[in-house]
Amino acid sequence: MTYETLALCASKGAYEAVPRPKLSLNLSDAKRRLEAAGVPVTDARVMLIVTMEREVTLSRDGRVLIKSRDAKEAERVFERLRKVVGLPERATEPP
Amino acid sequence: MSRGVMLMSGGIDSPVALHYMLRQGHEMTCVHMDNRPFTDDSPLAKVVDHLEVLRARYGQKIPMYLLPHGPTQVQLMRETDRHVGCVLCRRFMWRSAERIAVREGATFLATGESLGQVASQTLSNMRTATASVSLPIVRPLVGFDKQEIEAVAKSIGTYEISTRPGLCCQAVPSKPATRSNLVQILQEEQRIDVDQMLDDVLRHATVL
Repeated sequence: MTYETLALCASKGAYEAVPRPKLSLNLSDAKRRLEAAGVPVTDARVMLIVTMEREVTLSRDGRVLIKSRDAKEAERVFERLRKVVGLPERATEPP
Repeated sequence: MSRGVMLMSGGIDSPVALHYMLRQGHEMTCVHMDNRPFTDDSPLAKVVDHLEVLRARYGQKIPMYLLPHGPTQVQLMRETDRHVGCVLCRRFMWRSAERIAVREGATFLATGESLGQVASQTLSNMRTATASVSLPIVRPLVGFDKQEIEAVAKSIGTYEISTRPGLCCQAVPSKPATRSNLVQILQEEQRIDVDQMLDDVLRHATVL
């Protein structure tokens, strides 16, 4: 189980990481972990809206969307989110 | 000519629809439903730029109301069936536009919708969505295909703005309903306080 390399989404407005295979995240648990780390979270039931350096949406299927068009910044935000929530590591090579 | 309220999204279609309404001499007020945090800042920036282009072209002021839609989306996602989320979202947009129309003395609503482009634009969903309002709805582009709309957008100078990078709506469910029935939609809306939510939206309206 892994995340693909971060890539710009279709509309080029954000960086997206998609797990393969899809996850079935416990968003309540993810929210609890984020809040414990002092990260503001809005719970929209099927996704969390997380405010880090940039706004991030974390969907129940594990999809992560980072509202940045800067690859390095997106990388940084993703790694922080991944560690706090306990998401799988990102593939170093595209699958 | 009459006074109307146009829903503006930042996409390709709505500025073209607005162009046709202004060309006919209607006095238009615009409404943009601010979908952050389910999108980024780009739709609002695009609408602002669309209006600048069309204000210059028609020499009209064209006021725009900016209404917060993100909190409504959160409430809909928490309380209602995700499958019909786009229809419920659309009903809030229409209701909000109608409230602005009443405030502005407008007699009709308008939109850039054309049939079949996205889930909310099937005939079934358009009918269910617009059952939430009583003012007539004008759709200048309803029979246009995408290529025709894009050609007009290019000719009036809004296409380049619309196609700048931006984030699509993240609240769209993975499998949105393409058919809906009003009975089910009304049942879903019983889970939420529609009037209170609309009051909140209108209380936070800003005019640009």
